[in-house]
Amino acid sequence: MSGVWRFPVILAALSLLGLASAIVGDGLWHWVCWIGLSVPLVVCTVKLWRQWPPRVPSPSRAGGR
Amino acid sequence: MKPANLRRWRLVHRWTSLICSVNLLILCVTGLILVFHHEIEHLMGDEFDTSYTEGQARLPLESLVGVARATNPGLEPKFVSFDPEEPGANFIFMSAPGVRDFEDGRWVMLNGYTGANQVLKPPEETLTGFLLKLHVDLFAGFAGQMFIGVMGLLFVVSTVSGLVVYGPFMKKLAFGLLRFRRGTRIANIDLHNLLGVATLVWALVVGLTGAILSFSPLILTYWQETELVSMIGRHTEPMTGTPVTVDQAAQAGLAAFPGMQIAFIAYPGNEYASDRHFSVTVRGQTELTQKLLSVALVDAETGQLTETAEMPWYITAVLLSGPFHFGDYGGLPLQIIWALFTIITGVVTVAGFVVWVKRPRTRTATSEAGVQDASDSRMGSKA
Repeated sequence: MSGVWRFPVILAALSLLGLASAIVGDGLWHWVCWIGLSVPLVVCTVKLWRQWPPRVPSPSRAGGR
Repeated sequence: MKPANLRRWRLVHRWTSLICSVNLLILCVTGLILVFHHEIEHLMGDEFDTSYTEGQARLPLESLVGVARATNPGLEPKFVSFDPEEPGANFIFMSAPGVRDFEDGRWVMLNGYTGANQVLKPPEETLTGFLLKLHVDLFAGFAGQMFIGVMGLLFVVSTVSGLVVYGPFMKKLAFGLLRFRRGTRIANIDLHNLLGVATLVWALVVGLTGAILSFSPLILTYWQETELVSMIGRHTEPMTGTPVTVDQAAQAGLAAFPGMQIAFIAYPGNEYASDRHFSVTVRGQTELTQKLLSVALVDAETGQLTETAEMPWYITAVLLSGPFHFGDYGGLPLQIIWALFTIITGVVTVAGFVVWVKRPRTRTATSEAGVQDASDSRMGSKA
């Protein structure tokens, strides 16, 4: 599998597993659902967190100090 | 992929997304709140009293129908419905004698254990009812619902075409690269790509099931006018005696499908039953089998089972679409996850719109953007 599709396919598979599992049963199936569907959300959060531009202090504030 | 094909897919993605974007944002905002409709109804006191004590016996259906008759003189019961999530909730549809359809009449909501009659507020008078109506048909009735269905299909096409153009675009970029310092357009393209591809399966499933649910009146009418009419058509004997009670009909229906529970019962003489038969529809007990319905025709004169049938695949598809669209089948954690996915879908929509607004307007600008993209691509492949 090419590098472009590796992560999207993994996230898609986990999402499918998550969506399908809670309809099958309760208990453990619910946990599989919550974890499977949380992974794409966690990946988005981590990517945003790591690459969010740092706040640059405004010149007036910097000058004030 | 050939450049001409890729250009066509880009056009499909651009225009399907743009056409459904405003509607999609309305659906995201209303859907985000509706995910928590149970909690909101509870907080606002709009919830029905379905309470009962442990071991308390259910009242016979005939006595519940009696309560509904007493509070609606001149009307007859046509339909009794049960909520699988709320065992205490019974809904009875009452309308004038001889009326076969469900256009004019009223629903009576009763506690199946106490017989307490509860007033059903018109949907517009509750917050969740208002939002649901906005979500389902934009307050435009059947036409509005079909419009939403078409928007849902456009969203599905937009999602699939987005996936097709994602591959070539990301060829030289690292997964999840976010170039926030490269200007508004590049930053929004990256945000759109990351959030879009990460939530793609969820968006596809919710979009497709939403479209199916929007077209459900057409699908139900098709079933009713083909398979149900054909089933009823095999039993056209007229009604001559006194009908059995609805409890006897329910028992005969349940006996035909051991281990199942009643979903709804249609009285003889309406669109969902024959002139002489009750139609007793049953469902399973688990989360999955609750969506799989079977029908038993019960002779209203003898109380005997006449015929049984399974629901066709397309009705099962409609019934299974419900949980996969509403996200109400995995407890509060799934509701929260559903809400987060809905927010991300809104962000993807807005980011895509910004990308379109900030598009290069001239040929020179296009070639400059191409140079910039190539430069960014190199950076991305290093990242």
